[in-house]
Amino acid sequence: MNAGLAVIMKDLRLAWRDRAGWTTAGAFAMIAVLVYSFAFDLAVGDPRPLLPGVLWTTFLFAGVFASGPTVQRETDEGTFDALLLAPVPPTVIYLGKAIANLIALLVIEFAVLAVATILFGIALLTTTIVGIVIVGTAGFVSLTTLLSTLGASTRARGMLLPVLALPLLIPLLLAAVRATGAALDVEPEAAPWSLLLGVFALWSALIATILFPLAVER
Amino acid sequence: MTRPAATHAIAIETRALTKRYGGIDVVRDVSLRLPVGSRTALLGANGAGKTTLLALLSTLVSPTSGDATVEGYPLAGKPAALRRVIGILGHQPMLYEDMSAAENLRLFGRLYGVLDASTRVEELLRLVGLWTRRDERVSVLSRGTHQRIALARALLHRPHILLADEPETGLDPEGLVLLDEVALASPGLTVVAASHRVDRVEAWATGLVRLQRGRVVEDTASVPHAEAVGA
Amino acid sequence: MSLLRWVYGTRWVVLPPLAGVGVMVMIIGALVVAPREAIEGDVQRILYVHFPSILAAYLSFAIVFVASLVVLFKRDLRWDAAARAAASVGVLFTGITLGTGMFWGKPIWGVYWTWDARLTSTLVLFLIYVAYLLARAVADELDEQAARFAAVFAIIGALDIPLVVMSVEWWRTLHPQPIVFRGLERPALPNEMLFVLLVGFGGITLLALWLMTLRGEAERLAQRSAALRAGLDRNEVV
Repeated sequence: MNAGLAVIMKDLRLAWRDRAGWTTAGAFAMIAVLVYSFAFDLAVGDPRPLLPGVLWTTFLFAGVFASGPTVQRETDEGTFDALLLAPVPPTVIYLGKAIANLIALLVIEFAVLAVATILFGIALLTTTIVGIVIVGTAGFVSLTTLLSTLGASTRARGMLLPVLALPLLIPLLLAAVRATGAALDVEPEAAPWSLLLGVFALWSALIATILFPLAVER
Repeated sequence: MTRPAATHAIAIETRALTKRYGGIDVVRDVSLRLPVGSRTALLGANGAGKTTLLALLSTLVSPTSGDATVEGYPLAGKPAALRRVIGILGHQPMLYEDMSAAENLRLFGRLYGVLDASTRVEELLRLVGLWTRRDERVSVLSRGTHQRIALARALLHRPHILLADEPETGLDPEGLVLLDEVALASPGLTVVAASHRVDRVEAWATGLVRLQRGRVVEDTASVPHAEAVGA
Repeated sequence: MSLLRWVYGTRWVVLPPLAGVGVMVMIIGALVVAPREAIEGDVQRILYVHFPSILAAYLSFAIVFVASLVVLFKRDLRWDAAARAAASVGVLFTGITLGTGMFWGKPIWGVYWTWDARLTSTLVLFLIYVAYLLARAVADELDEQAARFAAVFAIIGALDIPLVVMSVEWWRTLHPQPIVFRGLERPALPNEMLFVLLVGFGGITLLALWLMTLRGEAERLAQRSAALRAGLDRNEVV
């Protein structure tokens, strides 16, 4: 437990020290929302039908692009091997990375929600939406962290990660967008989307924690 | 070390250890019996399998066939207890460049469950002469300094066995003296160190293992069975 | 195990002729034997390729899943070759399913593509396994790390499919949308049609298996030649 906490604190500290990566991801997310507003004319008329899709594609892309570099450095500097050699289960190493990524991404996402609230005059920081964002982000961060960690030691980097991660994340995207839409009252909650979101988050966390120790075997 | 010598007379024993990578046996049929307190120099050309053998012994890599015990623990299953008795000194310092020397050491102190971590970190940073620079980020320090921090990290949890892969890399003459003093020639520590500097090896090694294309071609470090029991 | 090996040993004798005959009988059956479908006309004959193809694709992906588990647990690269071979064949037949579906859909629905639940999840399936092939293709044949990475991806992908199917189903059926067509319910097939379909199923499955063994052998040869090259670099005869 102590070791797990140490790994999480280490990853958060590194995320903070190496802010450039996460700041870029944050800036990317903000700019993406702006670009969408121009492209879909969100400033004119009711933006609510399009807003859930705009927000979640932004979150997904920001998350997928940001999860690569931190792990990349860990592999290049050899510290990943040092962690694997320490007497802690690999699952702890994975959870440390995933939780640090989750927290960093949530900070970005809440900032985006706050800015979008101001830009579009729609209350986005409600309990429901915050809950959906937390569960949804946990759902995709667990997979993107796993894929980027394993991919870092192969040549599967950069452009490949979105190609790998996004098809797997389609159920999550559908569930998150529809659940957010329902929270914004633009559509009835026609299916148990929130439930699916929760199931996906549990599923991906479980699968990633099971597969990670097997996958880092050499 | 206060452990009875008889129970752990052999620190590292490998039996036909083989690792196949990319279609070739990078390490092939390596059988060694290294007694406690011995200091083995691992020699051989680049690509002879030194690094892979060390990676196998450190549990970073699993063998394709064969097995080994380190301090009586089998490599298979990679028990945490085994990892706790091993210290690693790589040719890459394996440090977080955005953290300070002290932060790096404290992190690994917690991962290895070092109880007196703060006093131990201070002790080691003083030992390697970096106590005054403990809060500077690793990225601003020189290559030689990195290797000194790595040395401190390797010894942090008081390992019984030190596995070192070309530990001289980047060290200045002063650093080399330090390396011999606190690690390679430190009494009580069992050392296996890869090196391509034969001139340096004489200073500390008690035996040699020479690898060629993954095989052992010369071994003056292992002890035969009978002798080990009596020892 | 030895029985399995014996069966595998007969592949060159058994698979090509059977697959060839099966596919030929299917083509003749589809064009001559099977009656013209009353409502849809001749275009319905695509069914005899379309439906067996997706089943062959499912079979291939099941093989990818099993082979990937073996790669992860047994660290045996022969299974990596098997997984890659099965994935290529699966992608091929998913592609055939999607392609034939489009040519069938155009005259019947008036459009090549519609965001129907089944079509959409098949497309996602296609994308997942294309991604798998890309993940594996960026690394060398003998890169064990890359093989494990691809295996992990294949396992996640396979376990993701139920979630994809469920979410897409909800998305298309419960989300308000214009109705493009009324689903695939049709009266029970006449016996001739059923017969041709069964022959097609057999023929295409055998064809898929044959392609898989060919591809698998090719992957194995690539692995062995890579191993030989590595051995030569070390001045060693393997």
